[in-house]
Amino acid sequence: MKIALNTLKYYVDINVGVEELCDKMVMAGFEVESIENLADKMSNVVAAKIVSIAPHENSDHLQICQMDTGADELVQIVTGAQNIFEGALVPAALHDSYLPDGTHITKGKLRGVESRGMLCSGGELQLTDADYEGASVNGILILKDEYKTGTDMRDILGLNDYVIDFKITANRPDCNSIIGVAKEVSVVLGVPFKSPDVTYKTVGGDINDYVKIDVENHDLCPRYIGRYVKNLRIKESPDWLKQVLKTCGMRPINNIVDITNFVMLETGQPMHAFNYNDLEDKHIIVRNAKENEFIQTLDEKKYNLTPEMLVIADGKKPSCLAGIMGGLESEITDTTTDLFLEAAKFKRDNVRKTGRALGIRTESSGRFEKGIDINNTAFAMDRALNLICALDAGDIVDGVIDKNLGLPENRILNCTTDSINALLGLDIDESEMVRILNALGLATTLNGNLLTVSVPSIRDDIEGRADLAEEIMRIYGYDHIVSTPMTGAVRRGRKLPERIKSDLIKSAMISMGANEIATYSFISSKALDNLNLSEDDERRKAVKLLNPLGDEYSTMRTQLITSMLTVLSTNFNRKINDVRFFEISKRFIPKSLPLTDAPMEIPTMSIGMYGSEEDFFTLKGVVEEVISLFGKTAKFEKSNEVFLHPGRQANALIDGEKIAFLGEVHPDVLKNYDIGVRAYVAEIQVDKLFEIVPEKTIYKALPKFPAVTRDFAFLCDKELPVGTLADIMSEAAGKLCEDVTLFDVYEGNQIPEGKKSVAFSVTLRSLEATLTDEQIDAAVKRILKKLEANGATLRM
Amino acid sequence: MKEKLEALKEQALSSINEADNSAALEEIRIKYLGKKGELTAILKMMGSLSAEERPVVGQIANEVRGAIDSALTEKSAVLEKAAQDKKLNDEAIDVTMPSKKAKIGGLHPLNKVLDDMLDIFQSMGFDVVDGPEVETDHYCFEQLNVPADHPARDMQDTFYLTDSLLLRTQTSAAQARTMEKTQPPIRMVCPGRVFRADEVDATHSPVFHQIEGLVVDKGITMCDLKGVLEQFAHEIYGKETKVKFRPSFFPFTEPSVEVDVTCSECGGKGCRVCKGAGWIEILGAGMVHPNVLKNCGIDPEEYTGFAFGIGLDRLTTTRYKISDIRLLFENDKRFLDQF
Repeated sequence: MKIALNTLKYYVDINVGVEELCDKMVMAGFEVESIENLADKMSNVVAAKIVSIAPHENSDHLQICQMDTGADELVQIVTGAQNIFEGALVPAALHDSYLPDGTHITKGKLRGVESRGMLCSGGELQLTDADYEGASVNGILILKDEYKTGTDMRDILGLNDYVIDFKITANRPDCNSIIGVAKEVSVVLGVPFKSPDVTYKTVGGDINDYVKIDVENHDLCPRYIGRYVKNLRIKESPDWLKQVLKTCGMRPINNIVDITNFVMLETGQPMHAFNYNDLEDKHIIVRNAKENEFIQTLDEKKYNLTPEMLVIADGKKPSCLAGIMGGLESEITDTTTDLFLEAAKFKRDNVRKTGRALGIRTESSGRFEKGIDINNTAFAMDRALNLICALDAGDIVDGVIDKNLGLPENRILNCTTDSINALLGLDIDESEMVRILNALGLATTLNGNLLTVSVPSIRDDIEGRADLAEEIMRIYGYDHIVSTPMTGAVRRGRKLPERIKSDLIKSAMISMGANEIATYSFISSKALDNLNLSEDDERRKAVKLLNPLGDEYSTMRTQLITSMLTVLSTNFNRKINDVRFFEISKRFIPKSLPLTDAPMEIPTMSIGMYGSEEDFFTLKGVVEEVISLFGKTAKFEKSNEVFLHPGRQANALIDGEKIAFLGEVHPDVLKNYDIGVRAYVAEIQVDKLFEIVPEKTIYKALPKFPAVTRDFAFLCDKELPVGTLADIMSEAAGKLCEDVTLFDVYEGNQIPEGKKSVAFSVTLRSLEATLTDEQIDAAVKRILKKLEANGATLRM
Repeated sequence: MKEKLEALKEQALSSINEADNSAALEEIRIKYLGKKGELTAILKMMGSLSAEERPVVGQIANEVRGAIDSALTEKSAVLEKAAQDKKLNDEAIDVTMPSKKAKIGGLHPLNKVLDDMLDIFQSMGFDVVDGPEVETDHYCFEQLNVPADHPARDMQDTFYLTDSLLLRTQTSAAQARTMEKTQPPIRMVCPGRVFRADEVDATHSPVFHQIEGLVVDKGITMCDLKGVLEQFAHEIYGKETKVKFRPSFFPFTEPSVEVDVTCSECGGKGCRVCKGAGWIEILGAGMVHPNVLKNCGIDPEEYTGFAFGIGLDRLTTTRYKISDIRLLFENDKRFLDQF
């Protein structure tokens, strides 16, 4: 809510500076978004009279003016404008002056002739005709003759003022008005509020002879007041009125329209003025729009209406979108002679929905959406009539039509001062509470320690103790709140097991050199295409946002790989050579589509890396370490994700259940992401790791007896995985087997086609005794036999 | 014979002195003390001496052997020391050469700051809970005293998945979930991701992070709220930090306040960081609205409570003076490595 300081001064005597006023208002709950000093716009620009004009000897178009600037001596100013004449009063920017665009004017010579300033056009002062009549003419602005020479242009233009932009919180719709804010100012400064005059004279007659009003949908329109004014005298509004509108950000139009806008700004109650003669059947009907009805509004746009939308119709057609914008047909123009004036309350939800549906938001609809006071409607109407009368804008016909289903009375709240103090933790004096509540317009009496508060409908945000406490507190002052230490049972707060386990993984990843990343939870609907996923892939069954910011952020992710690849790509394209990243976040998996329940949110970890030291096996090592944090060893088997290298990818399984996939990214996918090196990704279902019940750690005795190591080198099928071979050997060696370690794999020269040479070292040990030669030989024999059975031939 | 021994000794000691490596020394040892050595040869002739001469000469011979022996040992030690000195000298390296990197990664700056905060709140007895990112209208709005036609719904532009499912706009949704499940005393914080339909720019992101705090018990007052937030501010910004309440509005708290702390950059004098104000807004808070308590099955006559919501992203960007919130989600390694 933008309000000029000078405007506020009509309603309350402001006895402090603008900064102090704003500080006090902030501490009372009215945040100040900005304070604009209008005087900053220009300086040292005055109204000056052209005493004489002489031609410039070195120029055809320049003229030399002697100016009366109110000072003892005339000031010589050279100008190129042609619309000037001797005796004209014009704005003159004197030596060392500033114009609104920041231009600094100083004395100088124009073609050899001294000029001690500049005569200004309306444009140079950033004025339009609305600001000052004639401001748009081509040439110097010719001022009305009413100002003394030397008058500061800021005084003439009303710029010696501050415009304060108050942020009005959603619980105080009453303060989307000058009166609402002024009342708060009066309480904050402790000075009286001066209510505007709402009296007016009528000329007799009876409105009922001129118009009939029917409210068909009282649910959406709880109150509708109509008045009739004849013999309109449409003209320009007086300067004070135009000035208030301009400082509040509205454009002056004519006296009637300006009055309705001003009353809205002043009282918070939107008004609407209809051209009475354009109303068919002289009948106002507040009703829902019919199928296929449309309206052309004041901004000359046409809208098709639907039956949920409330309109003010005449006998034939919609004439106004209720609470939002009037129709072009019944617009008030310079020739309008008769006025039907509306002040109404429309249901906020309906105004919002209609406004949203049609894409219109106005000063009026904004106020209805936030909520207006049903008891304020008549006051606003009276104020509008007062102004029509005061500005001699028309003749007010007697009689008012006020359609409503009963008006709410004040609500009575009872609350003890003790309970308010208990909530705040303070000991505020009872009489102070009563004083504050009364000042705020909440008539309060005290009986013992019981406050009885009469709450008017304009403060329907006040429901009980907590609200009263807040009202008292924001005036009493929040600086009275002191700090008290927490009391209660002393214990450290707990984290959920999932968070503890997630933290464990994170610290392990960090010690393995990985950086944690953070990416958005929603991705492009096309992201999965970059993975070349088939159409029926489960991961394409994703939840979509109904109102995304754009396709880029439209789909809740069902995997973390696309986000990771995007980050890898960003880094690669910024010429960063080696990266190792991880993220623990959620996958969103719908239970069914279309969505009926909330989707499952599954904690998941992605790993991504590239660089000279990274390959499938460094990634595998990282995955193994993460799994080992949970006391488990994973088995790896080949997998078949389309976005991974077909020969370099695996699933990791714990006790037969898939826990992760990992692999080198497929070259086609690398190309999709514009990554020019081999990259490696994994996705681990950490939720399954979190479920693992950790085994209690119990110390195992260190071995007392020596181990024996035997090496086995053999040829076998190239396709036979070494993991399988290790399992075979371990199993064959039996319980004496302590370890099986691969130490060489070789293919190529001297090795037959389709074969490979592998070498393992097997460690045997007994915890009970030193192994005998017989035990060792038997184990070796068992291993050899098993290897042979699997087609391996021993190399000597 | 005596003269012979003395001469032998002189000769041996002199050649030991001259020896410059351990091999030469060994040769000397063999030459004089070996089985076929010169001293041994002389001793073999002892038999030809008289009984009177023998012990005298024997003693001299032993002395000579002892002298040669210790000279050898001494010289050997000297030579070994020299050899080691030479080796160490040869092995000297240029310590300014680049290291072989032991790589260590790092937490994302948001989580680094979050960890600090959770630690502070845990130490004050707050449990850390989690809530879903996809919320129902019920928990995100209705239970929090924001009914369907309430203007406060316009305060935040919500991403919807269906008519009633949405991406939570505030971690406050966790308040309702916690109060429904748990009877007071409640003392919890809920960190998490929240979503609002804000276009991406230097200070806005459709995805950001909050930490919700909630305390419900008998006799909880607004002064307790200030106590907790002051302690928090002291831990995060330092002991000198002051806390100020400014009245505000949230549908789920009443009274509601914005909480400012003295600018940690200038200590409250006013600077560029705080735009001259001396104060920085860090969070919104208030006493839990009685309607919210009631909605969640807690009797507002018996219990009171307070709640607060902290913007993690803002806290992170101010702590590290990060000028553009987009950097947090870009994940440039050179950025991440700084934390």
